[in-house]
Amino acid sequence: MDMSVDDLAGGITRVALRGRFDTTGAVVVELPFNKLVTEKRKIIVDLSAVNFLASYGIRVLLVGAKIVNGKGGSLVILCPDNNVAKVLKTAGMDALIPIHQTEATAMAALAS
Amino acid sequence: MSPLQASRLLLRKDVAELERLAGWIEGFTRQGASPDVSFAVQLCLEEAVANIIMYGGAKDDPIEIAVELERNGTTLVARIEDNGRQFDPTHAPPPAPAASLAEAKVGDLGIHLMRSFASGMDYERRDGLNRLTFRFVEPPEQLP
Repeated sequence: MDMSVDDLAGGITRVALRGRFDTTGAVVVELPFNKLVTEKRKIIVDLSAVNFLASYGIRVLLVGAKIVNGKGGSLVILCPDNNVAKVLKTAGMDALIPIHQTEATAMAALAS
Repeated sequence: MSPLQASRLLLRKDVAELERLAGWIEGFTRQGASPDVSFAVQLCLEEAVANIIMYGGAKDDPIEIAVELERNGTTLVARIEDNGRQFDPTHAPPPAPAASLAEAKVGDLGIHLMRSFASGMDYERRDGLNRLTFRFVEPPEQLP
């Protein structure tokens, strides 16, 4: 899997992940993702191009959200309503990390 | 009703094997499983096999993992056998919901995901082997 990073307006950083966010994929992005969440304060994790998510991927997202939250920032997830979103909800992540279906609502949530 | 189809894969206790597992499942489910059932099979087998690879034995234990997929009509059955330490995931307690992000525990989600995405899950310990069986039933409206 791969990861690309864009700076958006308002000090927001978009991290787009692509591919299978399974154990194999999570091991690849874990270090660069952890580095990014320690550096940035307003983050959209874009899972639109992620076609599979397993528990190791959820672990990476949860650790990232905890780090950003712990320093007073916020991390939101952008994910269309699909099986990846179903995994996030089944794991209870929707109660811990805001999940948005469009980039506009994700950006609005971070703008305040 | 489509005829019975079956396939079997042997895996070593190595995280790199998960990629081979994923490709093998994709090859099997491509021939006639719905996208939702394919996803569920991928998820349950990834979680179960990753657990065995990471926690099924000490570092140098010669663990062998056999995975079988079998389709019979609208039901897909996945079976995992391993000679690692005895572990029954069907009796693991469900994770407690976290009150906040700060209190949320990291980990322990794999078994909960397996339970939620499979139509059924059974475990037995026989002849020194763990034998975990998942059943996936195609929802009527999603038959390919």
